[in-house]
Amino acid sequence: MSREPRHTAFSTAHPAVPGAYLVVTLALTMFGMQPVLVAISAAGGLAFGCCVEGPAALASALRWQLPFLLIVAVLNPLFSAAGATELFRLGLRAVYLESVCYGLVMGGLLIASVLWFRAGAALVSREGVLSLMGNALPVIALMISMVMRLIPRFVRQGRAVIAVQDVVGRGRVSRLDAVRGRLRASSVLMGWAMEDSLETADAMRARGWDVPARRTVYARHRFTASDAVALAAIACGGAVAAVLAWLAVSQYRFFPTMSALRPWWGYAVHACWMLVPTVLHVVEERRFA
Amino acid sequence: MRGEQAGCVAGTAHDLAIDVRGLVFTYPGAASPVLDHLSWSVPAGSFALLVGGTGSGKSTLLSLLKPEISPAGERLGELRALGEPLSGLSREDSAAKIGYVFQNPDNQLVCDSVWHEMAFGLENLGTPPGEMRRLVAETSYFFGMEDWFRAEVDTLSGGRKQLLALASTLVMQPRLLLLDEPTAQLDPIAERTFLHALFRVNRELGCTVVVATHRPQAMVPYATCAYELSGGRVEEVRDLEPLTRWPRLLPPFGDGGDPAADRGRLEAEGAPADSGRPEAAAAAPEPAVRLSRAWFRYGRHADWVLRNLDFEARPGRIHALVGGNGSGKSTLLSLMAGVTRPIRGSLVRASDERALLPQDPRSVFAEETVADELMEWSGMAGYGRREVDAWLGRVGLSGLAHLHPHDLSGGQQQLLALAKLLLTRPRLLLLDEPSKGLDLAARRTLAALLREEADRGVCIVAATHDLDFVSQATDDVSMVFDGEIACTSPCDEFFTGNVYYRP
Repeated sequence: MSREPRHTAFSTAHPAVPGAYLVVTLALTMFGMQPVLVAISAAGGLAFGCCVEGPAALASALRWQLPFLLIVAVLNPLFSAAGATELFRLGLRAVYLESVCYGLVMGGLLIASVLWFRAGAALVSREGVLSLMGNALPVIALMISMVMRLIPRFVRQGRAVIAVQDVVGRGRVSRLDAVRGRLRASSVLMGWAMEDSLETADAMRARGWDVPARRTVYARHRFTASDAVALAAIACGGAVAAVLAWLAVSQYRFFPTMSALRPWWGYAVHACWMLVPTVLHVVEERRFA
Repeated sequence: MRGEQAGCVAGTAHDLAIDVRGLVFTYPGAASPVLDHLSWSVPAGSFALLVGGTGSGKSTLLSLLKPEISPAGERLGELRALGEPLSGLSREDSAAKIGYVFQNPDNQLVCDSVWHEMAFGLENLGTPPGEMRRLVAETSYFFGMEDWFRAEVDTLSGGRKQLLALASTLVMQPRLLLLDEPTAQLDPIAERTFLHALFRVNRELGCTVVVATHRPQAMVPYATCAYELSGGRVEEVRDLEPLTRWPRLLPPFGDGGDPAADRGRLEAEGAPADSGRPEAAAAAPEPAVRLSRAWFRYGRHADWVLRNLDFEARPGRIHALVGGNGSGKSTLLSLMAGVTRPIRGSLVRASDERALLPQDPRSVFAEETVADELMEWSGMAGYGRREVDAWLGRVGLSGLAHLHPHDLSGGQQQLLALAKLLLTRPRLLLLDEPSKGLDLAARRTLAALLREEADRGVCIVAATHDLDFVSQATDDVSMVFDGEIACTSPCDEFFTGNVYYRP
């Protein structure tokens, strides 16, 4: 269970900073339905994934998603027959080039989103998410913490229950009873957990759970001036990137014929935005190179 | 220690941490009170033991001193803690000033990570963030928790969990700390670590510590005074020395000098009075279970838990497996039970009929009453109501057959689970920490039951930390170390050869 300490982009910042960056990036990715924007976003996510997880690990994680892209690309023209350039006919349905391209771009967008969600897990830990929530919703944050504590416990207790009944029943119980055995295990586990929870409730009250004071939150992360500066930079950069992305998307059409793609300085800005975590990660790595 | 004890007695009413006068407490529906005109005072700054058997009311008395968890019932008399009447204490003061540590380390931890657990109580009280950081940091240093401050609670050992429970109570800066069997679930090494931490809390921080226990042996060296609760009243124990002795579990050979009371008890429970340890000879030729060159690990990238391990246990013998936490004892049991298979090496069992009792007996309970519990496997294993009634008598639960299994005491639950497994007539019985948290009466019944089963030719393998139980109730001992069996020898030999590893 021991994890290596992870040093990557934003790891010295308050979790609000990578959190804000991720929210903006995911929005830019999901609403930027334009071939170049999608390609840039996917490239940014891929570059960061390769840096953090390594190309091999990332490829094995994505091996189910690439076929998915192809399926979306192939299925889209079959369901939406739109466009002007007819490629071929399948029975009575025409398959258009524009539909195929739309499917490919849509598939790419999905993959880019997946890549950025993976990046998000590396940039903000679960505990970071909780501490972001903790300030606004202390009780919800505590509940999540309690649930996360119970899950591994239930798994362990469930194994113990099943072990006992399997060992005793070995060779004496038929197949049908084995199904009933699983039902029995869940009811045993239920009784056990209820019993435990009574004591947990006592322990919580013993430490002042129902004291009517306003609940405070233990802050693991301090929000400093440099975090404020970073957040302001993200807000400005994000606004610029969003305006440019809106321009790019609104000027581009798939149907009836696809608009032509031309070089544009706006793409460079978009690429800069998408490469921020990769660059920061490399800088962090170079510190001890 | 004598001097301190004397100081203990002569406390003025002014510096008493606990002052109880004429307390009568009756549970709802109970015919007679559990605590009857009880008067008890504990001087501030003392390390007090509260001893007494299961059901004597130790937990009730302690929880009455902690208003948040006081049981419902009829209460008369005056209770004062830290010089103030309990009824006048505000909820904040009661939560912060009186700390309470429970028996089960797993159940009393609330959050998923160590740092959050430490902050939990302070968050409840609305402590300002700056002060919270200081208190958490200070307390973590006091307990040496820096290395595991960011760990997840579930990855900690039992000993560390209990230490965390103590630390997360202490972070609220209590002046009085009440602990109910805090070390019952710990192994002997973890128990000493915990007691040492408690000792430092008492002497360095001046916090009054009251520990309720039925096994005071390891705690006496730290204690400044001791009280015995029996018959609903508390008496001070003047001489602590007898508390350090381990009482006999099984009657000895012949008639020579054992307390007659012990024998009477065992006879009443149906154990033959002369069933001592059988002669070690007459070793059956065929082992009941044999592992040869077994290798085992839990995952592809995990480290080996068992390395090239050879082990065998013979029918008619009680074989103890001892060793530290994480040495592989429980893994070894689940291999022998057939829950998992060795990755390399062979496992041979003489008979397929076997039973496994995990650490927590509640993993065995599926029914609504004690009697139904014992009947659950009657169809499968071919026994009837008559056998169940006999077993109820043997484990002393005849009068409690209508109760829910979860309403029994820890010791009674363990005996019930054992009876349930033994009703299936296993030839190989695998037990994980069978004596954990048991009081003396339950330990005696357990020792007698296991001896009887062994005499019937059952092979019993028990993984345990309880060296007193090992030395009194088993035949052979194997020490598991570093994934291997470091040594196997008959019980008496094992303890004569050991320098550190003894009860």
